[in-house]
Amino acid sequence: MIRWLVVSALVVSPTAATAGPRAGKPGPDPVALAATIDQLIEAKLRAAGVPPAPAADDATYFRRVHLALGGRVPSAAEVREFLADPDPGKRAAVVDRLLGSAAYANHMTTTWRGWLLPEAATNPDVAAVAPAFEVWLRSRVRADTPFDQLVTELLTAPLNGRPVARGVPADDPDVEAGVVGFYTAKEGRPENLAAATARVFLGVQLECAQCHDHPFAKWSRDQFWGLAAFFAGVERQGGGVREITGRRELLIPNSDRTVPATFLNDVEPEWQFKKSPRVTLAAWVTAADNPFFARAAVNRLWGFLFGVGIVDPVDDLHDRNPPSHPELLDALAAGFVTSGFDIKFVLRAVCLSRAFRRDSTVTEPGQRDLRLFARFPVQALTPEQLYDSLAVATGAPPDEAAAAGRRPFLEAFALSGRRTESPTTVLQALTMMNGDLVGRATTPGGGRTLTAVVELPGLTPAGRVEALYLAALGRPPRPEELRRALGHIEPAGVAGDKTKERYADVFWALLNGVEFRTNH
Amino acid sequence: MLRDDRGGTRRHFLRTGAAALTMTASGWLGRLARVAGADPSRKRSCVLLWMSGGPATIDLFDLKPGHANGGPFKEIATTVPGLRVGEHLPNLAKWGDRLAVVRSLSTKEGDHGRATYLLRTGTVPQGGIDFPTFGSLVAKELADDRADLPAFVSIAPQRVLAPTAFGPGFLGPRYAPLVIADGRGGAGGADAAGVDRDLKVQNLDRFGGVAAARADDRLGLMRDLEADFVARRPGPTADAHRAAVDAAVRLMKPETARAFDLADEKPTLRDKYGRNLFGQGCLLARRLIERHVPFVEVTLDGWDTHANNFDQVKTLCGTLDAAWAALMGDLADRGLLDTTTVVWMGEFGRTPKINPQKGRDHFSKAFSTVLAGGGIKGGGAVGKTTKDGNDVDDRPVGVPDVLATVCTAIGVDPEKQNLSNVGRPIRLVDKAGSPIREVLS
Repeated sequence: MIRWLVVSALVVSPTAATAGPRAGKPGPDPVALAATIDQLIEAKLRAAGVPPAPAADDATYFRRVHLALGGRVPSAAEVREFLADPDPGKRAAVVDRLLGSAAYANHMTTTWRGWLLPEAATNPDVAAVAPAFEVWLRSRVRADTPFDQLVTELLTAPLNGRPVARGVPADDPDVEAGVVGFYTAKEGRPENLAAATARVFLGVQLECAQCHDHPFAKWSRDQFWGLAAFFAGVERQGGGVREITGRRELLIPNSDRTVPATFLNDVEPEWQFKKSPRVTLAAWVTAADNPFFARAAVNRLWGFLFGVGIVDPVDDLHDRNPPSHPELLDALAAGFVTSGFDIKFVLRAVCLSRAFRRDSTVTEPGQRDLRLFARFPVQALTPEQLYDSLAVATGAPPDEAAAAGRRPFLEAFALSGRRTESPTTVLQALTMMNGDLVGRATTPGGGRTLTAVVELPGLTPAGRVEALYLAALGRPPRPEELRRALGHIEPAGVAGDKTKERYADVFWALLNGVEFRTNH
Repeated sequence: MLRDDRGGTRRHFLRTGAAALTMTASGWLGRLARVAGADPSRKRSCVLLWMSGGPATIDLFDLKPGHANGGPFKEIATTVPGLRVGEHLPNLAKWGDRLAVVRSLSTKEGDHGRATYLLRTGTVPQGGIDFPTFGSLVAKELADDRADLPAFVSIAPQRVLAPTAFGPGFLGPRYAPLVIADGRGGAGGADAAGVDRDLKVQNLDRFGGVAAARADDRLGLMRDLEADFVARRPGPTADAHRAAVDAAVRLMKPETARAFDLADEKPTLRDKYGRNLFGQGCLLARRLIERHVPFVEVTLDGWDTHANNFDQVKTLCGTLDAAWAALMGDLADRGLLDTTTVVWMGEFGRTPKINPQKGRDHFSKAFSTVLAGGGIKGGGAVGKTTKDGNDVDDRPVGVPDVLATVCTAIGVDPEKQNLSNVGRPIRLVDKAGSPIREVLS
């Protein structure tokens, strides 16, 4: 067991109690949790002698929170309206609005699907079952299913051997059936299911312990296979996955050792009569006093918003990779448990914190250490964020936004490693510079945004440039940028269609720059 | 002798007849060819001919004449006495003195996915660690940061069975291959125009015919407009984005993009490679090697011959033999064969026993791989399998041994370490591997 976790679990406990308000009771206050976040982050900044970056302006915050919660940039109209709104509480209001939006449900579904079924990015068989899985997941996200319930449902899904529906789901899909895609993605193998459970829900990587005792953390091979043994009865059957529920032990491959199902804290499970061992496992995983579960979840959500986890990578907690802010992790976990495992509660609190509202510029050298959270980290957009943002910015009609070009685009723009470090590849740059999507949108008469900007009567050239900036970057141009853009548009001798081409060039330049490609 | 018995022109022809070549090909091509060959400091390169599906090496490089497992194919002589190969590789047989056949490769992986991962990364999949494919490892060692072309190009890969065996893993996208003709697997049969189209880099041409001058202006505008953002947010994301755009622009330069224009080549030479995707892919590989790309792989898919093995292998050999022999000749003509190591391998071999469908099934216990060209002492075979082909009889070799051999041949230290995604340093080639000294020149 990991040292700091044991200690902190004794001192600060998210724990002891059963989890907090479900029906009717008032939840904890996200503003109070935001204050705790800032107190802990700023205490560490003071200790490190690093002053934080200044607060981000309204436009920056608006774009950032749209990308973070809605998975896409705001439209130019939304930006104008927000910037003009005098309400001092407008930032909290936009967080609430986004958390209740369909865009949030889609973005969250895509995000969790990526975490739970990462295989879909590279394995066409898994990609085929991902849509049905997303149908199930989206229904739970939309219903605000508490996270412990969602995980319990996933870990205890009935496995009857029926094949999972492949490809685009029917108009009236069997919502519940899609959850089995998780088991399909893990090939119905106990070791893969155990590894994924540990990684996603407990925040620890046990895979190494599959073959030998873990080199850094104290996981033994027996512990890994003890966890896998909860899935001992799971196996593939044709195109589906089934379970023989009586099995609770597993033979370690290439050995003569059989290990019984055992929790990672080496506690002996109490079995339920005639129930799958997965039911027992799910109860232990999602228990309010499981020191891993709530921390792993809030850390993942923190990493989701900042691109850097408190433990980072977010699923690799061990002695040599401790949290940057252990008390913060504890406080977030405690709040999450008290809220009744309400994901939106955590997201709301973080989005309201000063930490999330800071600018991403480096004003002091010490701010370059991202794990201090002295500024907002610059993060590469996920492929989905990029594609959907391009659709919004260029004014693609909704049917086009879901067009056949989406999947190859997503494949070409897959991220690797941390979002704060994931580099653009040459083929990605070529796709943005010369590909159909940006190409059409930046050809006069092509995309809706450009056409509107160029054709709208009565606008000054400066007004047209501003409209392009609002659409692409969610902010008006700074004076020197406006001068540079107008210098491109209005040199002597340029007129008529040539002028339209010059506006198209400005739009192209904005869509291809690093500012558009990142959340910052 | 201006022409040698292999049907290709030789290096001395290039030296004495440079003027003639300059006349026939375009001027710069002749110059390029001469310069490439003459440069003593030239780095080495590697071409991997990847045989997806698991080739029946028992029908290609380790025949069993006189045994029931041998099947219908005969053995033929190569230019080196004692080294014999399958009858459907007649052109390759003329390069016997440059080929080293390793007949005793053995692994425990009989599944396409795991075996592909093993042969292409040097290790079996281990949860948590994203091992890079061999091409990415080599690219990192031999890349020239000023080069206009990427350091690793993968032509016609078939990645479905083991997607992660084709990527840069923990080395990151910087060493990812530039992928051309993705998913085509080198399958022949498409018309010549289709082949040329497949072998182009996607999105290399500007959309809607934007003129070069306007494109330059636009690019300058982009750099100016993002300058403030980048200056105030120094860090890897902004740096990498600018680097990628710069690399894309360099790749789009007409003289760089020309590397992918196979119409530059003489029709007779193109015919010699074979007018199919694999053949033309091998020709493209030569054009890239000539332009100092350190690692190029070309995939030929279709070797999973569970049924009707002999007809299929014969057909595949037609494609393979022409392209590979042409590549050897072409590299030799340009003085590049001594600095280019050619590696031929697939994920496993196939069962010596012929199944009732006249097929052969997956077999990893004893199979062959072939090394050729730069750094390799050709003209012989290493290792031996038993008379029935079922076991390794002499000099067993593992995958790390093969990869360590290739590393050594191209001047890369197989013991060098990279930092992995789990924070642990990992050697280019596992310590279980040591170079097969017998085949190194």
